[in-house]
Amino acid sequence: MDGSGGGPQLKSARFRAQREADWRALERLVDRHEKAGGGQLSLEEAQDLARLYRKAVNSLAAAREISLDRALLAYLESLVQRAYLAVYAPQETISGVVGRFFSRSAPKAMRASGGAIALAAAAMALGAMIAALLFRQDAEWYYTFVPEGLAGGRTPDAATQDLRDALFEPFDGVVIQLSVFASYLISHNVRVALFGFALGVFACAPSIVLLIYNGLVLGSFAALYADRGLGYELFGWLSVHGVTELSAIVIAAAGGFRLGFAVLFPGAVSRRDALRLASRDAVKLALVAVLMLLAAGFLEAFPRQLVTDTEARLVIGWGVGAAWLAWFLLAGRDRS
Amino acid sequence: MSRRPATPAQAAHLDARRRRLFALTPPEGVAVRFEVAPIVARFAAQTFDLLITFLAVGAIMLVFVIPALQIPILPSVVFFALILLVRAPYYILTELMWNGRTLGKRLMSIRVTGVDGRGLSTHAVVARNLMKEVEVFAPATFLLAAESMGWVWSLITLVWILVLILVPAFHPRRQRIGDILAGTIVVADPKPLLPPDLSRRPQSAEFVFSDAQLSHYGRFELQTLETFLRAHPAEKIDAPPSQAVIDVAAQIQRKIGYHEAVPDTRALAFLHAFYTAQREFLERKRLYGDDRADKHHARRDENPD
Repeated sequence: MDGSGGGPQLKSARFRAQREADWRALERLVDRHEKAGGGQLSLEEAQDLARLYRKAVNSLAAAREISLDRALLAYLESLVQRAYLAVYAPQETISGVVGRFFSRSAPKAMRASGGAIALAAAAMALGAMIAALLFRQDAEWYYTFVPEGLAGGRTPDAATQDLRDALFEPFDGVVIQLSVFASYLISHNVRVALFGFALGVFACAPSIVLLIYNGLVLGSFAALYADRGLGYELFGWLSVHGVTELSAIVIAAAGGFRLGFAVLFPGAVSRRDALRLASRDAVKLALVAVLMLLAAGFLEAFPRQLVTDTEARLVIGWGVGAAWLAWFLLAGRDRS
Repeated sequence: MSRRPATPAQAAHLDARRRRLFALTPPEGVAVRFEVAPIVARFAAQTFDLLITFLAVGAIMLVFVIPALQIPILPSVVFFALILLVRAPYYILTELMWNGRTLGKRLMSIRVTGVDGRGLSTHAVVARNLMKEVEVFAPATFLLAAESMGWVWSLITLVWILVLILVPAFHPRRQRIGDILAGTIVVADPKPLLPPDLSRRPQSAEFVFSDAQLSHYGRFELQTLETFLRAHPAEKIDAPPSQAVIDVAAQIQRKIGYHEAVPDTRALAFLHAFYTAQREFLERKRLYGDDRADKHHARRDENPD
């Protein structure tokens, strides 16, 4: 090294000379980790990575005290940064993450959010009740709650027979059109659900509005059909996908409620920490909701259009609903 | 805040602060300083990732969907549904697989990491990317569909987007809302580079410096000289020196009161010898608790503010 001809080296230069080989070795290991991924390292390499990382951290702490060599300090800073990122990289496989989500973490988050879900369901029910009561007083309210595009001719002015036909009209197109229909429904609903989730941060208010509005539309439809003696038929028609779809909206909004509660009542921790903590369950609720909406989209596009028997519709809709419920209630319980 | 830097050293300090360093403390207990990724790099990475997802969805459409459809207006509906189903998983999976780097982030040399010093968790990746759908993409899509919404909604969406862009722009660590919620931060990818040590013991006692002469400068001047000498390494000592080397050597001699004559041909040798002596002196002082940040250290000691 430098300075061999004269007296002893600088302390900081000696410090570097003694450790440089280790740093270079760490650098090579981190490079391999970045290029090939952590799973490709052998056991010895992984152990070396952790050992050399700790040594490099110590070197950095010491160098900050004893060395004024800026290049060395910058090198050690970024070496430790990269090694830190490699050592603390996510160590789970994708399949492991997905498996854990379905078998444990999602149902647990659902069970932990029971209160929020009940509250969200109550908000939607409240909207439905208000709409039904108002409709009974004056059918004109229907036009206030249900936008024209959604109603699609199903208004208080329509003949009862037309309303019935809308429920049982057999599908005579090509199946591919149903897929287009499904993808439209899914992308629309997923967006609505994600909004209901994310906007919950603002003290729950937007999520509540969304739920009540959904309830108003639902209640208006129900009141209109019940008024014409078609309540049971509408119930079957809605059940096919509605059990799943409305639950999904409720669950997404419940996720938003968890965030909103954290903002409103952070308790002993700071709002930011409370939010971060609540988001652990809330994000899982949002994912469950998205998943259910995917299922609902297919149920709405295929079985609802292809199955026209009310009893069969009820069986499909509530059967799927029971399956969801079984997943939420039974999966991932600790046996002890 | 907007105080004008009085000395080059202060200007350098200000500059360092503008680089927005972010320190996180891993379990090892030594703070690791990352540089927060600049907004421009993140925007570029985002654009690149969007391009990738759009191309991917376009390819899927071309191969599977369009041939099966006869109706000309519907492809856009399928396109937006597919985008939604491809985009979020793309971000989540790439950030999980490549330790916080999507393809766009790899290209721009930036990456996501956790703020708590415990690395990046799966939950954090999912949370920040779900929020991205709502925070960034949904309003952008709305804006594209603005003409069908009426001006009130367009205005609301516009304000929404502006607010969301302003949050990371004003946040000291450039976190967007999803980052805050997930506890993540986007940092510049570090690139370790270790040049050789500049210090070298003199072969002979050609240049000798007294403690009084070495007391003039501080750490900032030493490291400025280091940067200069990296461009003029010791291997070039025997080559004819450039005017800059001669000027710097002359300036240092004048400032520290070095009265022996230094021939121009030895100017670079003088600088390297001075660097070594100065660094040894300052490092020794520092070990004993006397950290001299720059050449104003003596004045600061007299009247500490």
